[in-house]
Amino acid sequence: MRLILFDLPGQERRNFYPLSLSRPIWELRCGMSTLGEKLIAKTAAADVACFVPDYMAQAYRAKTDHKVNDPAMLTGDDLLLLDGRVKAASFNLEPKGPSEVGLTDDGQCLYARISKDDLAKLKADSIESLLTAAQQNLATVKCDLPTWNYTWELVLANPEQITEDFQALGRNGIEGTIEEPKAIRGSAKDVYVGSGALIHPMVVIDAANGPVFIDQDAEIHPFTRIEGPAYIGKKSILFGAKCREGNSIGPVCRVGGEVEESIIHGHSNKYHDGFLGHAYVGEWVNLGAFTTNSDLKNDYTSVSVTLDGRRPIDTGSTKVGSLIGDHTKTSIGVSFNTGAYVGAMGLIMATGKPLPKFIPSFSWFLEGVTTKGFGKAKLYETAKVAMSRRQCQWTPAEEEMWDAIFAITAPVRDEAIRRGRRQMLSKR
Amino acid sequence: MDKSEIQTRIVKAVCQVLNIEKDMVTPQSNFVFDLGAESTQSVQLLAAFEEEFGIEMESEAALSVQTVGEAVDFIAKYVNQ
Repeated sequence: MRLILFDLPGQERRNFYPLSLSRPIWELRCGMSTLGEKLIAKTAAADVACFVPDYMAQAYRAKTDHKVNDPAMLTGDDLLLLDGRVKAASFNLEPKGPSEVGLTDDGQCLYARISKDDLAKLKADSIESLLTAAQQNLATVKCDLPTWNYTWELVLANPEQITEDFQALGRNGIEGTIEEPKAIRGSAKDVYVGSGALIHPMVVIDAANGPVFIDQDAEIHPFTRIEGPAYIGKKSILFGAKCREGNSIGPVCRVGGEVEESIIHGHSNKYHDGFLGHAYVGEWVNLGAFTTNSDLKNDYTSVSVTLDGRRPIDTGSTKVGSLIGDHTKTSIGVSFNTGAYVGAMGLIMATGKPLPKFIPSFSWFLEGVTTKGFGKAKLYETAKVAMSRRQCQWTPAEEEMWDAIFAITAPVRDEAIRRGRRQMLSKR
Repeated sequence: MDKSEIQTRIVKAVCQVLNIEKDMVTPQSNFVFDLGAESTQSVQLLAAFEEEFGIEMESEAALSVQTVGEAVDFIAKYVNQ
């Protein structure tokens, strides 16, 4: 059986912007791994291929071992096609069995199990045509499988997911080094320190309320407190950080200050003091000193998030922090409002008060408004420098993907720039 | 639009953004070295010119313009298209 993960253009993936602008939805993280890793583990698939929006296919090929957008993967084997938004924990379909297509009430296909024989009859040459042909020709079943629908759901589920992942992995003990004096609260069986990890003296690992998993080659500097459930990724470094419960950090992050129930993708830095709570941060993000986000409103009502720059969506939760896209950088002292949407590839300067709740991708946010700034070429130059500092390369495929993202995000950004221009000049 | 009108309107925008007097600005004035524009003010100047003339400029090219006179030539290409 071959597992085919798919993430096709549509409203569903826009609900995960700005994070899904530059990656398929299953590359989002929750707990100790990505959604895709959980789906692959759940289906026990040895052979995996995937289909993503065309504009990111080339860049994604460099980041995955799986075949990407290869129509040959849609032939020659039994297939299990699976929407990347399906929650792995709830997915219990036997990989082997008669062909069937799982459809939601509104006709969306969440999965299709197709035998090799049926596949030959469907004669499809693309993922879209295969899904359509399967719905028309195979047995369909009503499917109410739970799915991830918004990025903040991952943040809210993170503490519980870390605990589940820790238990599923079944690893504990100290394989790295903990220098004396050490302080571990709770049960030692709820702590894992991977090989090559170094815990400096005066670090508190508090596993009393949840497990703490410190992955290989991580380094935890003195006066850091890590409260479980927590996952600290490979080669990440914590600098006297106050890590409250429910964080997934890394790999290769630099984190200080106070962080609570947040997910931070690889190669992002929040080196200095400042509070980050209930936030989802992409990769290659740099948060300047004292960058802080609000995750709770003063009146304790539920937080709304504006994903498209126009209509706010009620999250139904009283705790939602910032959603910050890849490669965005903030100056010192930036204050993000509750449930802020901060686009990818942005450069954000502080204003001394909370910033607007929606900042488009590729924004040069200066003097409180979105501007064109110095353009995307300058942002690419900065991204190249940031990546080279960590021995990573900015590739032509990556630039092509970001050019496409620039075009996708242009309408809402251009509108913000025009509005910003008027605001900027009316202040003078 | 002729270049003298463009220059008049550019000078007005420059004085507004950089908070300087009109007589300090000549066609030879360099935005950074003579008029003291910081990098964020360069971005504001770009926005001011776009608003003043109702045009959209390509920011990389626009920000490579060094002097008021160059700005006149550069903007003339957009407004007279």
